[in-house]
Amino acid sequence: MSKIDQSDPIEELRHLIVGNDSEQLAELKQRIESIESRTRDVAEVLPPAIQKGLKADARLVRSLSEPVSESLKIAIRKEPAEYAEILYPVMAPSIRRAISQAISSLLVTINRTMESTTTLSGIRTRIESAKTGIPYAELALRRSLVYRVEHIYLIDRDSGLLIDEVASSDAQSLDSDAVSAMFSAIQSFVQDSFAADESSRLTDLKVGEHNVWVAHGPRAMLACVIFGDAPESLKAQLYDALDNIRTNYANELVGFDGDSSSFDGLQDYIEPLLQLQLKEESNVKKTRKPVWPWLLGALVLAYFVVQSVSRSIKLDTVEHYFKQTPGIAVTDSFWRNGKIVVEGLQDPDAKPPFAILNSHGIDKELLLLDTIPFRSLENDMELQRFQNELILPKGVSLSIRENRVNVNGEAPIKWLIQNDVRLRQLSEDKRLDISDLSASSDSVYRMLQERFQSESLAKIELTKFVGDEQTLLQVGGMVTDQRLAVLNSMFEQVFWVDVVAHTKAKEAFPKLNTVDKQL
Amino acid sequence: MVGDFAVGKTSLTQKFVNNAFSEKYLTTIGVKIDSVELADTKLIVWDVAGRDSLSPINSSYLVGAAGIILVADCTRPHTLIDLAELWEVVQQRIGNVPATIALNKCDLSDWKVDDALIQQYESRGWNCFPTSAKQGAGVSEIFESLHQKIR
Repeated sequence: MSKIDQSDPIEELRHLIVGNDSEQLAELKQRIESIESRTRDVAEVLPPAIQKGLKADARLVRSLSEPVSESLKIAIRKEPAEYAEILYPVMAPSIRRAISQAISSLLVTINRTMESTTTLSGIRTRIESAKTGIPYAELALRRSLVYRVEHIYLIDRDSGLLIDEVASSDAQSLDSDAVSAMFSAIQSFVQDSFAADESSRLTDLKVGEHNVWVAHGPRAMLACVIFGDAPESLKAQLYDALDNIRTNYANELVGFDGDSSSFDGLQDYIEPLLQLQLKEESNVKKTRKPVWPWLLGALVLAYFVVQSVSRSIKLDTVEHYFKQTPGIAVTDSFWRNGKIVVEGLQDPDAKPPFAILNSHGIDKELLLLDTIPFRSLENDMELQRFQNELILPKGVSLSIRENRVNVNGEAPIKWLIQNDVRLRQLSEDKRLDISDLSASSDSVYRMLQERFQSESLAKIELTKFVGDEQTLLQVGGMVTDQRLAVLNSMFEQVFWVDVVAHTKAKEAFPKLNTVDKQL
Repeated sequence: MVGDFAVGKTSLTQKFVNNAFSEKYLTTIGVKIDSVELADTKLIVWDVAGRDSLSPINSSYLVGAAGIILVADCTRPHTLIDLAELWEVVQQRIGNVPATIALNKCDLSDWKVDDALIQQYESRGWNCFPTSAKQGAGVSEIFESLHQKIR
């Protein structure tokens, strides 16, 4: 029992009325007034109060979420290293998992691309890529896709203005504002044209390989551009996302005037809808056509190509060598019934180039000559012809000089007389140059001896001097008219008679001395 | 872009967006949408199908519009008179938004515009521009003017 102050009458009266409670009240008052004791009290009740609050409803969580988040931000900013260390065991496995998932999906894409480059469909894809200008990788990926959500637009229903959008990383970029306006216009058009009823709305749209699914809410619509055929379950997800947006951004949606900055965190709701599904490995394999018939076809094709090239090369070789052969003029050459037919003109003296063709692996049997005989005036042919025709004596040869056949050397005079007409004719026809042909002095001497045998010719001296393009023959003996005639018949050209001496004065020809006598 | 049938709404839009003009007349069905960047603003141009006696303007295309370009053909006086009627439809659906008037086809010689009517429209705060989608006269001015008003 506490001590009562007897001197204070009011205190005494209070004591009489409330007894010992007054002391307790004072104590309570002191506890409330002192911060220290109050803090102690709150610390005592706070943990059970929080626990109770958590069990009761979500209000506590909601009210705590902001301060907790703020304080966490400050704490992390203050000691980032510490928090990184704490979070490492939690974050690292999920980061690892995410990276490995990304790498494996990249590998799948690479594998698909590698596989598809070697298959027929791969070649088709390449051609299509070249035609359309869409990158090959993009086309290859599309072929192996069941579906892919490429764009999602959240559109304000009343104004047709775009609230937000997300697009898959490799999707074709579109003017999202115009697209969203377009969706809204189509919506209005369809509604005005087909149904006055507000609830009848356009929900599906198909454009080429793209499907557009539209989920409608009272304030906004969620349009989803999908490549391929997505499962119906995606539609439910679209409506779920739209419901979540409606619940969390109700005020923002009502007050939307084109400024979407107040829609913080909206992407978290729509981004998960960017889904894709690749074709099952087995499905892809099933659709792949076997390559071997094509390979066989390619081999057969290659064989025919090689054959055709080889035939063409053989034909070219034959034509080349035939054209080079003197005395043969090729007008046409072609393959017929497994043989090379050479058509044209052929000199009877010309020799077809069988030997050289044989060395190129082209047998004589393979060739069929279909030629018309003709006389070739080619130098080589002329040379060959004269060789056969003239039966050249020793000391005489044929050669080609200044694009003409030239016969040169010293021939026996008998041969010259024998071939005289022919040689002159050839010379006149300009087929043969005979300017370098002369009679050999031996043969002339022998002939003179033969011809002068009957005459009493003491001595025949035949000396040949060659100089100034003149041949000087010295004949010793009596010269009569008859003998001069013989000489004339032998040479038929201008010749000089040089009288050295004479024995019978009355028969002499003094006039002839050093006189140019043409006989 | 709002106005009567064949006044040149599509031609004006195409001239401004793509700097292209075609003599060929193609009627717009429903609405055509184009977008163009103007300084710091992206304009989504809704080129609404023209109105005639058979088909009234589809007012649902007006919803969300920040401004209206009323287009008239200066060789057909009734197209300018009709703008008042069209404006009623606009106002009923979306209220008072900034607007300008394009007096299109000003390159043609037979100018038949009632000046008193223009003054009346101008007193409403609408700027009137003679335009020619063919020659490009006044085209960018009309879009710039509306852009300034919207801002």
